[in-house]
Amino acid sequence: MFEQTFIRLALIASVATGAMLSVMGTYLVIRRVVFMGLVLASAATVGAAGAQLFNWPPELGSIAASVATALGLGAIQRPRRISAESIMGWAYATASAATVLILAGTPGAGLDELHLLYGNLLAVSVSHAVGLVVLALVIGLLQILFGRRFLLVTFDPEAAQVAGVNTTFWSLSMNLLIGIATAAAVHEIGALLTFSLLTLAPTASLLAMRSIRSTFGMSAALGVVLACLGVVVSFHLDWPPGPTSVALLAVSVPLAAVVGWLRDTVPKIGDKPDAPDSAAH
Amino acid sequence: MTAEPVLIGRTLSLGYNQHALIRGLSFEVRRGEILGIVGPNGSGKTTLLRTMLGLQKPLAGTVERKASLAISYMPQRERIDAILPVTALEVVLMGRSARAGVLRRIHSEDRDVAQRALALVGGEPLGNRLYRNLSGGQQQRVLLARAIAADSEMLVLDEPTAGMDVASEAAMIAFLQELNRSQKLTIVIVTHLLPVVLNLASSVMLLGTHSILHGPLDEVLQEESLTELYGVPVHIGIIAGKRTLVVGRPGDHRV
Repeated sequence: MFEQTFIRLALIASVATGAMLSVMGTYLVIRRVVFMGLVLASAATVGAAGAQLFNWPPELGSIAASVATALGLGAIQRPRRISAESIMGWAYATASAATVLILAGTPGAGLDELHLLYGNLLAVSVSHAVGLVVLALVIGLLQILFGRRFLLVTFDPEAAQVAGVNTTFWSLSMNLLIGIATAAAVHEIGALLTFSLLTLAPTASLLAMRSIRSTFGMSAALGVVLACLGVVVSFHLDWPPGPTSVALLAVSVPLAAVVGWLRDTVPKIGDKPDAPDSAAH
Repeated sequence: MTAEPVLIGRTLSLGYNQHALIRGLSFEVRRGEILGIVGPNGSGKTTLLRTMLGLQKPLAGTVERKASLAISYMPQRERIDAILPVTALEVVLMGRSARAGVLRRIHSEDRDVAQRALALVGGEPLGNRLYRNLSGGQQQRVLLARAIAADSEMLVLDEPTAGMDVASEAAMIAFLQELNRSQKLTIVIVTHLLPVVLNLASSVMLLGTHSILHGPLDEVLQEESLTELYGVPVHIGIIAGKRTLVVGRPGDHRV
């Protein structure tokens, strides 16, 4: 199967999207805003649909819509009466409805446009695969350089702000990266797999891992391995690749929960029992 | 000689959505002072604290900080979502990295400072344990160590003894006094626990519904003012050298 060019390109796209989405998605899961992944994926599709109306490149529409949504969701002041999820729910419903309505009103919108919107992993072009790899490398580099800042504003943004960290800038930067990665991925792998890589791989990793470094590492590993495995399995079983990868990611979550439970309940050899809490002096 | 002011509030109105909880408040926090901010629920303690820290804009008035004043903030531990699998030592190191440049890596010197800060608060054995698995009191100490590790001139603590047992609370008070004395740290503490302020603060800001009292501890925290503020008889006594508080039922004249 690996002699086939389209399979090799699908695997390259899987590696790139699996790595960048699962790493950036870890921040979404930690910040408890996983729904934002779905909103961004939907924004990418509405952007692509909107671009059809004006005969613009759909990639441009996707990226513009995703970035605007990511920045908008980061900058918006949440009213005290509703939760952040409510705003995400509104954004998701709006984007989904707008996609359908725009497509319905676009003359000649058909299967090709739907593939464009929802992705087809087996139809990734060389230029798009190269673009995804470059983007994944850039995001990886930024994560290495600024990951500590991203964690600061994720763990305790107020204390970070008091200490002089520009939390608005770093939060928006984080959202911007997630928005760009999502927009780029949706075209190639579809909204469903994009959302799953953003949320399921980090969720499984958080359930199984016990350190921040291993959480990010395992998240990236799960994203890459399961996305690629999905391509291989789908090839042999003649299944659609995106949903196959999603199914594997979904199975990884309860398995990771079992691993985490075992790690919590089975003490390591040599572990000492916790000392009782003692006073400061 | 009176110490220089490091934080000055001028004719502040504080609140949310144009609804003022506090009006016309002016104050100064002086270097080396331990200021306790107390008051009943809803009196605006947290709003005042957030305004002092620059986390919230006042409805009117201004807050001026001494140039380059470095502040460390210890929030209530409930405000921190402990989903992140970080160790206690990594939390303390965040106090260092928040102050460091964007691209600066954590050095062994930072680790030493963080270890020392943890040791200062009695949290040395907690270093490698996950923050989320610690008890409430242990988490408070780790957050205090993070604030100390940042090497700031001013510590701002929001309910630092909330959820602590009496031994841990007494130890925290003694520790903060020692920190203030030995390192000349300015400390601002918000709490609803009056005994903590009685035994720790050098000055007090007492936030009431209709009035705000600010001044030296002994002038502000008097039985009359507390009785009027809380609407129940409040008596201040000294037991074994420590000030304590006895509260009667509404309508009682004797406690």
